[in-house]
Amino acid sequence: MSFIEFKNICKKYPGADRNTVDGFNLNIEEKEFIAFVGPSGCGKSTTLRMVAGFEEITGGDLFIDGKKVNETAPKDRGIAMVFQNYALYPHMTVEKNIAYGLKNMGVPADEIEKKVNWAVRILGLEEYRYRKPKNLSGGQRQRVALGRAIVKNQKVFLMDEPLSNLDAKLRVSMRTEISKLHRELGATTIYVTHDQVEAMTMADRIVIMKDGIVQQVGKPMELYEHPVNQFVAGFIGSPQMNFFSVEVEGNTVKFCDGNRLALPEDTAKKLGGRQGRMVLGIRGEDVKLDEESIRQHENNKLEAVISDTEVMGNENNLYFTFGGSQAVARVSKYEVSQIGDRISFVFLPSKIHFFDEETGVNYMEG
Amino acid sequence: MRRKNSIMGMAFFGPALVLLTLFLFLPMVLTFGFSFTDYFALNPELTHFVGLENYLNIFKDELFVQSFFNTVKFVLIIVPLQCGGALLLALAINHAAHCKKYFKVAFFVPVVMSLAVVSTLWMQIYSPEGILNTLLGQFGIDAQPFIHSAKQSLPSIAIMSVWQGVGYQMIIFLGGLQNINPALYEAAEMDHATGWQKFKDITLPELKPLCVFVFITVTIGAFRMLVQPMVMTGGGPDHSTYTIVYDIYETGTVNWEMGLASTMAIVFTIFVVVLTIIQNVLTRDKEG
Amino acid sequence: MLTKKQKWLNWILVGFLLVLSVFFLFPVLWMLANSFKPDAAITADMNSIAAFIPPAPNGSFFENYVSILFNTKFLRYMANTLFYAALLILLGIVVNGLAGYALAKIKFPFRDQWLLIIMMLLIVPTETVITIHFLIIAKAGLLNTVLGYILPSIVNPFNIFLFRQVFVSLPDDVYEAAQLDFCGPVKYFFTMVLPMSKTVVATVSVFTFLNVWNDYLWPSLVFTSSDLLTAQIGLNSITSNDNTTMGQTLAVITLVTIPVIIIYSLFSKQIVEGVTSTGSKEG
Repeated sequence: MSFIEFKNICKKYPGADRNTVDGFNLNIEEKEFIAFVGPSGCGKSTTLRMVAGFEEITGGDLFIDGKKVNETAPKDRGIAMVFQNYALYPHMTVEKNIAYGLKNMGVPADEIEKKVNWAVRILGLEEYRYRKPKNLSGGQRQRVALGRAIVKNQKVFLMDEPLSNLDAKLRVSMRTEISKLHRELGATTIYVTHDQVEAMTMADRIVIMKDGIVQQVGKPMELYEHPVNQFVAGFIGSPQMNFFSVEVEGNTVKFCDGNRLALPEDTAKKLGGRQGRMVLGIRGEDVKLDEESIRQHENNKLEAVISDTEVMGNENNLYFTFGGSQAVARVSKYEVSQIGDRISFVFLPSKIHFFDEETGVNYMEG
Repeated sequence: MRRKNSIMGMAFFGPALVLLTLFLFLPMVLTFGFSFTDYFALNPELTHFVGLENYLNIFKDELFVQSFFNTVKFVLIIVPLQCGGALLLALAINHAAHCKKYFKVAFFVPVVMSLAVVSTLWMQIYSPEGILNTLLGQFGIDAQPFIHSAKQSLPSIAIMSVWQGVGYQMIIFLGGLQNINPALYEAAEMDHATGWQKFKDITLPELKPLCVFVFITVTIGAFRMLVQPMVMTGGGPDHSTYTIVYDIYETGTVNWEMGLASTMAIVFTIFVVVLTIIQNVLTRDKEG
Repeated sequence: MLTKKQKWLNWILVGFLLVLSVFFLFPVLWMLANSFKPDAAITADMNSIAAFIPPAPNGSFFENYVSILFNTKFLRYMANTLFYAALLILLGIVVNGLAGYALAKIKFPFRDQWLLIIMMLLIVPTETVITIHFLIIAKAGLLNTVLGYILPSIVNPFNIFLFRQVFVSLPDDVYEAAQLDFCGPVKYFFTMVLPMSKTVVATVSVFTFLNVWNDYLWPSLVFTSSDLLTAQIGLNSITSNDNTTMGQTLAVITLVTIPVIIIYSLFSKQIVEGVTSTGSKEG
């Protein structure tokens, strides 16, 4: 049996006409780091709050460590949580905030002291120990919230968008810190975020949700390389995957601006003989401008005019209009191009996805 | 979870609810019920239902009618003096570039003092050989009887009440004046508005909801006049300072005629509620 | 920037206000100055500016105060009132605070209707129910008891409403965090909600104190035994005694006012905010 089991979990708010979370099934193994990701309103936070016990489960069963917890009070579920707005006790010092739960659990004073010492040390909060939350920066508050969660030795950590209130630089460093903590403590963690980069960089597995429904569950690279539908393909990865509305005739792809692409044998095979209108997807880094690639796929060479560039330093994003859509190519920093330049490029055939125009299903992952 | 909430809600709200029931809902129901009876608290067994008789009788009762008109007189003197005075003081202090803090405190001092203290103090001040008559004597004015004459007692108490209360409304107006966006005045300056125009076109309209609020609260306060005459004159001389609330209080707790007292209380409550509703309507109009 | 003409006008305005404030405060100045004088001196000074000047400090400077503090039960009355105020502040915060919290944060049946009823109760003038309070307390045999005095004043719809307005904006996630820290709802209210809402607790405490200290009508009805009297009623019984001199009367009323002055100077910020907010909320 898995450590946390979701069996067809549903949430319907009174008066709502559809389920906010619909038929959520998932098994989480012990010590796993799981990220729930999706756009706002997708039900990821609601699901997390059902695990915590702050939202009533209106359908299905939830098991933690083999026990059904649908009716269990939050404090008896063996969980610790880090909240989006930290939820620190404003009138207590850092130390008291961290110690509060232990005190209420009846832990002896000397043991509390030891645990608090440990927590402030590994979180680098030693010099802020006697400060109140209002005298701390956002990052420090976030660490106090983490400290409060880790001292209680709970087996499950829930984190609800814990980094969304921090500035970009701090977010990156906190990301590594949380990952490190997870490796050291080994608590089973559910991490909710709307930021796919956080999910990709931290999680063992990602659950991607939309409109209350799980779209795909998998390891980060699985989701990136093998998205099951157009939504997952578009949500994971930055810049977004390029999508083109195309018509497939035989082994030829026709773009709406008249450009054509001949599909290699194995790609066409995966498509399974499907014909007609569909959506072609390809990631920016699989749009190749280098001579080597172009030489390899000479017969499928395409052309466009650069309309915008984004210089990132380590690489460049080139924007151009092609096939009736705006598209982007990610190229190395040595491939310099200017706005207005005419470029030649090829799509790496093995990296092309085809999605159903209506349902978004990825034909290549069938 | 929902059941837990109802239990917790009632546990938290319960103590207040019990006390509210005992000391607000029950008294209101009893007052309403008593007002249709001749309930006499010393002899409750002899209570009869008398219908609307009390309501008709209190308006025939000379003392109640007198206390009603006395109360109206109090209102007519206090409301304009206290509202106008508070507004003028607030405007003056807001404009003064110096000693602002001192002025705020100075005019607020009487608010701090209790009704009993102020009444006791002014009994001394109003006494025939008191300091006020001495001061008036310096200006060649004859000694006045003040609270010892049926003619002067009511205005004397009214003026004392204004003296005590005006600082409270002054603070409210000062708060309102400070809330006016200074950019409005700067814009008016650019439009070549004179001082008077700025007052008429910016200050007054911005303060209007506050004026209504102050007007109504002072009116209700004046309607509730009781402790000052109770301490200073006992309602006299010749019931010249007897008020509605004084009448309710004496009829109920001295004469024990709860039926009659309840009827007066209902009539009084209706006045207050109507005034409050008027205030709400007037201030809501402005927002809408 | 003031122009030259505006500067002149400002000085005229300030001068006028200064003179006005002196006239306005003359009763208070007279009270303070003469509370240190024997009656003969009060009468003798009446005709001159000396009426507003305290006497030179000498052996009998505090005589009126001394006689009030040691020859009457006035100290006892003050202590009584402080005790009642402390009780009512404590009970009032618990009862009204809990109710305010329930109305703000707990979804119990008919919550919104209760809130509406509480708001309507704000309009009812308390004078009209005071006779019934008297009847209830008399029937319960609680006249002349502390309980009888306290009981009707604990619950206060205005304070419930005030608490509710403040508690409603407290973040929910702190409550959730506390739940995970094994802190139950009652403990949460006392160790989290109240400390997080210090300002409203202070405001309610200050206004409760002022109400108890300055109340006249209700204690005059409930208490007849002189050992239980509040300062305001005690003041009345002392000053209406024929043996009490004018100087002593002035000393008593000064003494009654001192605690209030202290409270006002300590909490002037909360009080002014409270006063202005009643205006801005309604307006």
